[in-house]
Amino acid sequence: MNQVGTVGLIAALAFGVFALVAGAVGGLLRSPRITRSAERSALGFFAMITLAVVALEYMILTNDFHNAYVAEHSNRDLLTYYKVAALWAGQEGSLLFWTWLLSIYSALVVWQNRSKNRQLMPYVVAVLMGTGTFFSLLVFFVANPFHELSVVSIAGTQPYAAPDGNGLNPLLQYHPMVIHPPMLYLGYVGMVVPFAFAMAALITRQLGDNWIRITRRWTMVPWMLLGCGILLGGNWAYAVLGWGGYWAWDPVENASLLPWLSGTAFLHSVMIQEKRGMLKVWNVSLVILTFFLSIFGTFLTRSGIVSSVHAFAQSNIGPFFAVFLAIILFFSVTLLFLRLDHLKSENKLDSMVSRESGFLFNNWILLALVFTVFWGTLFPVISKAVQNVTVTVGAPFFNKVAIPMGLLLLLLTGAGPLLAWRKTSFQSLKANFTLPLAVALVGGIVLFAAGVRQLYAWMTLFLSIFVAVCILGEFWKGARTRMRAAKENFLEAVYNLTMRNTRRYGGYIVHIGIVLLFVGFAGQAFKADTKGLMQEGDILTIKDYMLRCDGLVSGDNPNYEYTRALITVTKKGEAFAEMHPEKRFYKASQQPTSYVAIHPTLAEDVYVVLAGMDSETNKAIIQVFINPLVMWVWIGGFVFMLGTLMAMVPSRVEREMADMRQAQELAVRAGEGF
Amino acid sequence: MSGGRKISVASIISPASTAGHRGQLRSGFTVRPAVGRAARHSSVVTRHFWLSSLLISLFAASVAFGDNRTKPTLESLGNQLMCKCGCVAPLNQCPHFDCAEKAEMQAFLKKEIAEGKGEAVILQDVAQRYGLQVLTAPPARGFNLTVWVLPSIGLLTGLGIVVVVVRRWRHKPALDTAPGSTGDDPKLIRAVEEEMKSMRMG
Repeated sequence: MNQVGTVGLIAALAFGVFALVAGAVGGLLRSPRITRSAERSALGFFAMITLAVVALEYMILTNDFHNAYVAEHSNRDLLTYYKVAALWAGQEGSLLFWTWLLSIYSALVVWQNRSKNRQLMPYVVAVLMGTGTFFSLLVFFVANPFHELSVVSIAGTQPYAAPDGNGLNPLLQYHPMVIHPPMLYLGYVGMVVPFAFAMAALITRQLGDNWIRITRRWTMVPWMLLGCGILLGGNWAYAVLGWGGYWAWDPVENASLLPWLSGTAFLHSVMIQEKRGMLKVWNVSLVILTFFLSIFGTFLTRSGIVSSVHAFAQSNIGPFFAVFLAIILFFSVTLLFLRLDHLKSENKLDSMVSRESGFLFNNWILLALVFTVFWGTLFPVISKAVQNVTVTVGAPFFNKVAIPMGLLLLLLTGAGPLLAWRKTSFQSLKANFTLPLAVALVGGIVLFAAGVRQLYAWMTLFLSIFVAVCILGEFWKGARTRMRAAKENFLEAVYNLTMRNTRRYGGYIVHIGIVLLFVGFAGQAFKADTKGLMQEGDILTIKDYMLRCDGLVSGDNPNYEYTRALITVTKKGEAFAEMHPEKRFYKASQQPTSYVAIHPTLAEDVYVVLAGMDSETNKAIIQVFINPLVMWVWIGGFVFMLGTLMAMVPSRVEREMADMRQAQELAVRAGEGF
Repeated sequence: MSGGRKISVASIISPASTAGHRGQLRSGFTVRPAVGRAARHSSVVTRHFWLSSLLISLFAASVAFGDNRTKPTLESLGNQLMCKCGCVAPLNQCPHFDCAEKAEMQAFLKKEIAEGKGEAVILQDVAQRYGLQVLTAPPARGFNLTVWVLPSIGLLTGLGIVVVVVRRWRHKPALDTAPGSTGDDPKLIRAVEEEMKSMRMG
């Protein structure tokens, strides 16, 4: 099977190179035949990479320990769904997985555009396959997952099959972790599609409405998946790493946030181009930046230039990524400058207090956040290069600088949608903002009286109330109009209102998700924790909770040995939960890890860790965290995903416009003889 | 709609009001008189100046002060120091059981706290003992100052540039939006759809 995988890689490389060249030539010569050939080669690329992935996955599932990668990341006793996840557990497999997802996106793009956007497609295919070729080269020559184990003996070098593998990293043996990398990679990889369309639009000078519409849709999907992937990663950190938090501003975490932030800026500023024909250069720049940051994030995770708990082992892959990043930047920026004349704004701004200005401020704050995270993440490398001093830039820096920016963004999340296009009058401002401000002020006073005195937490909750009232007010105003005009009940009115304009109201739902996320973040200011040594009968108290240790049990299964603490939790004297934190020792990898016990509620999570055994007293070291409002982070993420899905559903008016556009395109193609 | 402005549905959906001429409605709006424009402009500039100054001051204060604690505790210090064992995690988050490096650092911190030293002094002593990289954020001096200053300068400068660019780009306002209007009035959308429907059936 190693040979099958290797053949798949070589064939994919050949298809990729052919598709890249044929796409470019087909576009230059405007040849439909050569373009079709390039598209078929992109499908061939997908097929061959799929073959390679199937080969590797087959070897993992059948415990073929001739293969070095399988021996490194899997073992016989690993559960099946963790074996599936072993495909992306290591550097080589995850790069192959990245390439496979790129091939899937490419195939989808080719299939979706088989009878439209024919002038763009040659260059779209060229860019997609150019990226695919780079990754296939990397997989084949630098990080090949199809190396066989061998042993040197008197008879010479001979193939060798290990009796068992090292097993999956224990930190990765957690259910949400199975889908976290696929989501994240789908997000990273997906950003190549809007980039490809943007480059094709620049090359062909087709910079009208079409490319921005395509690019916006193709950005929303990876943007949603990247956001979900980031939150799943936070959930993993919370449930597995055992320190009671979900975000540590780790360099790899930051690397995933960067393209998401710039993608968010693009999804907002694109509305200005669609409505007013403005900010065209800005939007192209954001698409380039988002793709650049996606590749940069991939580079950061794998190059070893920054230290991280999440990073793959150090490798020599860095210089290749650096060259690729330089090529992307040079190519795209040069093209942008050459096409500046075609990207002139069709209108001017009318007022500082307008939705356009609101989006501009929103964009600038998002980009300031991008710069802050980028600068802070890379500063240790820069410091070493400039002053030969090793420094660390961690959570205290990011919390201090990023949180105020985040609060400004939260404010704009509520205020922005209520500003009118072109100019908002003072009467409009009064009408739209009086109620939300009043409710937020009352809420703020109540919070202060209830003991919320931490500045950032108070401001977060105050702004969350303001934004929530702004957004819910929009739903209410629209629904009320429908209830009067169409005689619908409230729920019917909200449903029909949303379906009539899914982009707008789906966007509002996304904003509600963001508000819930911020509410969850605010809870971090009220964390409490305690630690103690416990044996059977011992008691630990924290806030309103009392934890009693009912004993320790030990056991094992084929995968790991465990020690489990049996903890009974009561709250204000009443039964609350039975919690069983564990300490595990994974046999195959010889690594310990903790299994955190979490009892979540909407108000707060009780989080119990068996941190170890005290060598002097032989008692269990139990650490307890009370984490307020964490549940709202996961709920907010779910609402964010729902809202994005809703925004992608074509509304009735959009469907009619799409039908008209398709009829137009068919007429044009019939005229051109395509 | 109030304010003496009349906009016909036909003018909104006419071809001239779509591609290439976005947002420019054709019929029936009044031009504001020039009297008092300079005075209004001056008061707007003054308002913007004080608003910007207030925002800048609030932002700078929040960055400078944020949620500072004054009394050092093992936990507050542990969040500002990296564990030396190589786990790449803050001291309080070191995942290693019975970590000897963590225990040694915590013993040193306890001694410093017991001596009544302030947080800044303790962090300085720790950095001298273990090296600058043990701090989770570099001290704000020398080249390290850039990590603190550049993001704030970038944000505030950028916001200032946006304000200047917006003011330079904008037209004199040619129409006033109706009170309470957010540009996507459901009534208006329904009226447009009905007219589109009648155009298709016609």
